Amino acid sequence: MAALFAGFSALLDPEILLLVFAATLGGVLVGALPGLNATTGVALLLPFTITMEPVPAIAILTTIYCAATFAGAITAILINTPGTSASATTCLDGYPMAQRGEAGRALGMATVSSTIGGVVSVVALMAAAPLLAGIAYKFAPPEYFALTIFGLSMLASIGDGSPTKNVLAGAFGVLLATVGIDLLTTVERFTFGFNELTEGIGFVPVMIGVFGISELLVQASNLRTKRERIAMKAIKLPSSDDYRKTWKTILRSTGIGTFVGILPAEGATVASMIGYNEAKRWSKTPEEFGKGALEGIAGSEAANNSAAGGAMVPTLALGIPGSPTAAVILAGLMIHGVQPGPTMFTDQADFAFAIFWTMLLVNGMFFFVGLFGAKLFARVTLVPVTILWPSVFTFSIVGAYSLDQSMLDVWIAVGSGVIGFFMRRYGFSVVPLAIGLILGGMLEKRLGQSMVMLDEQWWLMFGRPICLVFFLLTALVLFGKPLWGLLFSQRSSEKSTGE
Amino acid sequence: MRGRETAVRRAAVNWIVPLCIIVFCACAYFLTTEFDRVPPILKRGMQPADFPQLVIMLMGFLALWLAFVDKSTAPTPLPPVVYVSLGMMAGFLGLAQVDLFLALGVFGFCLTLIWGDRRWWALAIVAVVVPFGVFLLFDQAFDIRFPRGLLTNLWYG
Repeated sequence: MAALFAGFSALLDPEILLLVFAATLGGVLVGALPGLNATTGVALLLPFTITMEPVPAIAILTTIYCAATFAGAITAILINTPGTSASATTCLDGYPMAQRGEAGRALGMATVSSTIGGVVSVVALMAAAPLLAGIAYKFAPPEYFALTIFGLSMLASIGDGSPTKNVLAGAFGVLLATVGIDLLTTVERFTFGFNELTEGIGFVPVMIGVFGISELLVQASNLRTKRERIAMKAIKLPSSDDYRKTWKTILRSTGIGTFVGILPAEGATVASMIGYNEAKRWSKTPEEFGKGALEGIAGSEAANNSAAGGAMVPTLALGIPGSPTAAVILAGLMIHGVQPGPTMFTDQADFAFAIFWTMLLVNGMFFFVGLFGAKLFARVTLVPVTILWPSVFTFSIVGAYSLDQSMLDVWIAVGSGVIGFFMRRYGFSVVPLAIGLILGGMLEKRLGQSMVMLDEQWWLMFGRPICLVFFLLTALVLFGKPLWGLLFSQRSSEKSTGE
Repeated sequence: MRGRETAVRRAAVNWIVPLCIIVFCACAYFLTTEFDRVPPILKRGMQPADFPQLVIMLMGFLALWLAFVDKSTAPTPLPPVVYVSLGMMAGFLGLAQVDLFLALGVFGFCLTLIWGDRRWWALAIVAVVVPFGVFLLFDQAFDIRFPRGLLTNLWYG
């Protein structure tokens, strides 16, 4: 309880409050610009926080995360282009509403449902993270190893790409994490004589490359796309009739989003898709979905914002990122010397609760920013790509350089951007690569510790109940769907033969 | 004709991408065999090459799976502007050896031009205003020291 208040009082510093407000505006700007999303925004701003104290630094990153996730709805509704992938389902009903002159009402619903989703999920985070950390406190290295394997296996289900490609990209990230001096044996690996590589490949240049620079190349392939913004008079808060129609959807989607967010690696995009589909399934008028249904916007927006809070639960309590953006925040925590995990709630509880309070504060702030500033932010949606992306490149390069003040990091950022672009082109998500890079070091360390602990008899891990549960869950995640499909297709073929 | 082209492209994607990954894995595996080995007393559970080799083998297996089981659809051909942008990135890396901010300005100017924007103020923003603004921000606010070059020497003296 003392930590709860200490965390709150840390936020009362006027300087931090100002930074959080500025970051809220910045986050809304990032989310409103098509092509830039919360992950890219956090990755680009990470170098700016390097010289700061951990509390304001992480407060800024989490603020960008929450605000950008909300602001994706602005472009989704006004120009039919989701500012973030998590708002893709908001386009389905938001844009048709805007076309029939109800842009303000659609944005009002998006703002309210985002705020409710965000606030409820942060309260859940405040309750669930210490509980989860309490359980994880009993984990030994083999349990952590099994948990990390489970977290990596969840990468298989990221996005709509092939699970094989996702795992392959994750494994590539883990391989990149082995570059540098092996901490257990002090042997150099894959350093090619570069002194800068002895400490390993930095998270920041790779993140900037795969999320920022690769997007520049994606934008280069879509230059012909013309965007037209629908005019909006003013944002309009939902009427009591609107609330009556949508409150169940908002609560359901908030629950879905928080749960999906807690699952390792699954983020706001998956949450919004499930939230939208469930809103449609439970609706009394499902035929209106896709034509401008208010429930569709509520279902999608409440889910994607609540996923942000949920995603921070495993990130802080277990050190396993709950979403792509949380992975970048995790990298930020590590750079600032904060080790996420169960000990965070005993050794640095004030810090953990300061993050929670920041997220709560941001959800309140973006409600007002959204309410009074949406019309202004709507204008930035039409910033020419010919100005935006060269500027993003400049920020990316300087950001990559600034962390270690090394030109090698600039090369790594550009190289990662090019690799990331071709990965995306051939159906590989770059998110598993980033998460693999972050978790790779931890995975190897835990495996090494487990081998020492179990006297090199790795199979003994299967005799430990918690490990076994995580390994079974991993098998279920990786092979459950194909096995289910095989079983189902066999049964249906037997049925058709019988007939 | 177009259908045939797509089929050829799809076949190329289905074989060339896994092949590239397998070649990469083979090279990486070879490199791991060159890692120093430590005496059993120091290895603490694993030799330095063990873990990377395990990951590389997993990647190799998945690449084979990709080639024979998990077939992909062919991506649409890239417009020439993407190749030009890629080439400009290579040029940027070369010019950055002379001066980082000169390279950023030239890259921004050329990219905006190649992407079809010829308005002078747009070119001025990306070539001068943004690089100079970012330089000032990082130099003054974050105390970052940039590598010396043609332009940065003017600032650092």
